Amino acid sequence: MAETFTFGEMLSARSVIGTTLAELGETHDNLWVLTPDIGATLVEFRDKYPERFVDVGLAEQVCVGIASGLAYDGNIPVVSGMLPFLSMRALEQIRSDICYPNLPVKIIGTHGGLVGNGGSTHYAVEDLALMCALTNMTVTSIGDPLMVGEVLRQSMAMPGPLYIRLAVGKSDKVLYEPGQHDIRIGKGIVARQGTDATIFTHGTVVAQALEAAEELAVEGFNVRVIDMFTLKPIDADLVAQCAEETGGRFVIVEDHLAYGGLASRVADVVADRGLHLTAFERLGIPQVFAGFGEDEQLRDKYGYGLEATKAATRRVIAATA
Amino acid sequence: MGQPTLIAGETRHTVAELEELAFELRSKLLHLCGTYEGAVHIGGDLSVADILTVLYQYGMNVDPTNIANPARDRFVLSKGHAAVCMYIAMAMRGFFSYEGIVETYGQLDSAYGMHPCKVQLPGVECSTGSLGHGLPIAVGMALSARGRGDTHRVFCVLGDGETGEGSVWEAAMAARSNELGNIVAFVDRNRQLMTSFAEERVAFEPYPDKWAAFGWNVVMVDGHDMGQLVAAVDALPASDSKRPTVIICETIKGKGVDFMEKNLAWHAGRLGAADLEKAMTALNSTRKKETV
Repeated sequence: MAETFTFGEMLSARSVIGTTLAELGETHDNLWVLTPDIGATLVEFRDKYPERFVDVGLAEQVCVGIASGLAYDGNIPVVSGMLPFLSMRALEQIRSDICYPNLPVKIIGTHGGLVGNGGSTHYAVEDLALMCALTNMTVTSIGDPLMVGEVLRQSMAMPGPLYIRLAVGKSDKVLYEPGQHDIRIGKGIVARQGTDATIFTHGTVVAQALEAAEELAVEGFNVRVIDMFTLKPIDADLVAQCAEETGGRFVIVEDHLAYGGLASRVADVVADRGLHLTAFERLGIPQVFAGFGEDEQLRDKYGYGLEATKAATRRVIAATA
Repeated sequence: MGQPTLIAGETRHTVAELEELAFELRSKLLHLCGTYEGAVHIGGDLSVADILTVLYQYGMNVDPTNIANPARDRFVLSKGHAAVCMYIAMAMRGFFSYEGIVETYGQLDSAYGMHPCKVQLPGVECSTGSLGHGLPIAVGMALSARGRGDTHRVFCVLGDGETGEGSVWEAAMAARSNELGNIVAFVDRNRQLMTSFAEERVAFEPYPDKWAAFGWNVVMVDGHDMGQLVAAVDALPASDSKRPTVIICETIKGKGVDFMEKNLAWHAGRLGAADLEKAMTALNSTRKKETV
């Protein structure tokens, strides 16, 4: 069982998805799993419940449309695929056929961010901006592989749509001991306590932020890390609390366009609540179509890697009010 | 074999009765179009009026007294711009009051508007409006029925123009791949898009061959001939069969009102009192020709 993994170990989020869906299929006889030809991790569910598994082949639009029809009829469909295609090719189906009637369809997929070395057709870099714009949609981005299972389990009781973003999902660091945090959709996780500044992040970048915070601790800085795995609805209370408790010093790091993702969500809270910040830095993907390279290389190239995170954090801590 | 079962206590309409009901539906459509201040998609409403009459009054097993009846047939209006025709057809079947539609259509907070919304108007099965979305949803509903071992059908009405959307053909392939003989699509083949006649801009033909090539059971009818529509419904394969059926209905956009027929200006419009009278006179004259 996945639950035997502990902090720091590597685990495939995809295998957690496969195992969790197979489990949930047992307790929820109205759970369906659909995929546009991205089915390798769904084999366990497919073999156990072939009558509730639909692989439409390469056809994202009909895949989401079918999920809508299933949900209209009282089922809980999970659509699993690659996010650059699900979030854009099927965007209108997600909006008009899932969000408009507010149906309990889960969209879960991989390749969120500059990951997988597939080139810009295969990087979902604007997906969170698109999904956060949709009425009724709950938007998550998950790094800790065990959390994926927890969020899927919780989502069974959700009345409306849910988007779950993963990176590649083949080998991810376990960030939290099971039971260490109260994981609830809509609530940010204080992954590391600190008072000098807050790094807000999500997805696989959380591991990098924690690493940055540990290294900065050696330099004498006490940096808080927030895993804001739910981007919508954003945990505005936690943002406000961090502004107050960490000197209004914010760094947002994400594997998404720097404008339109978590940084923009946090900035909205700052503006709407009139929070007084000392410094605000956002690190993320600039407006470029990125080329090839390994995940870490691309993060470094575009200025949101480990060193850039540390440098930005030092700057906000040094900033004068 | 294929004849649908009716909800208990009902009798089946004759072709002549259905023709009268279709006439009534068109009259009500024109009345709404003549009194509502905004534009109504009257052209495509009139072309699909006979199809919706045969579905709601004959072909579909529906239950206005219990809209969640699990045994009901499901209906998806993929050409969502014909919503008002569906609202009135449903009203005539007992779902809503026609007066309620006429009095509130298109107004602030009305449940009745240009494109149907299930959330605002329970009884409607599915929110539609964006073309090419209905058939994929119908496939999902049909899979759901299969998964539960239910024998009801899923009916979907499309315009021919919207079959230019690629998602329709994704759904056509998915329906066949999943052997969904419980899906019945009606195509309102009125051969007009919004701004041009269909074949002028898009090579739909050989149209039946396209559906046949996707493995569908293809039936061709005159979409204004109630006898042919009834016969097509009667001949539907059993819902547990493996091949989805498409009934391609040759129709005329604006059917029944001479100055609207095959007239690109009447994709959508408003009549006003004077034109309403002209339109009703035209409609009445077709009734005499056809039924006397």
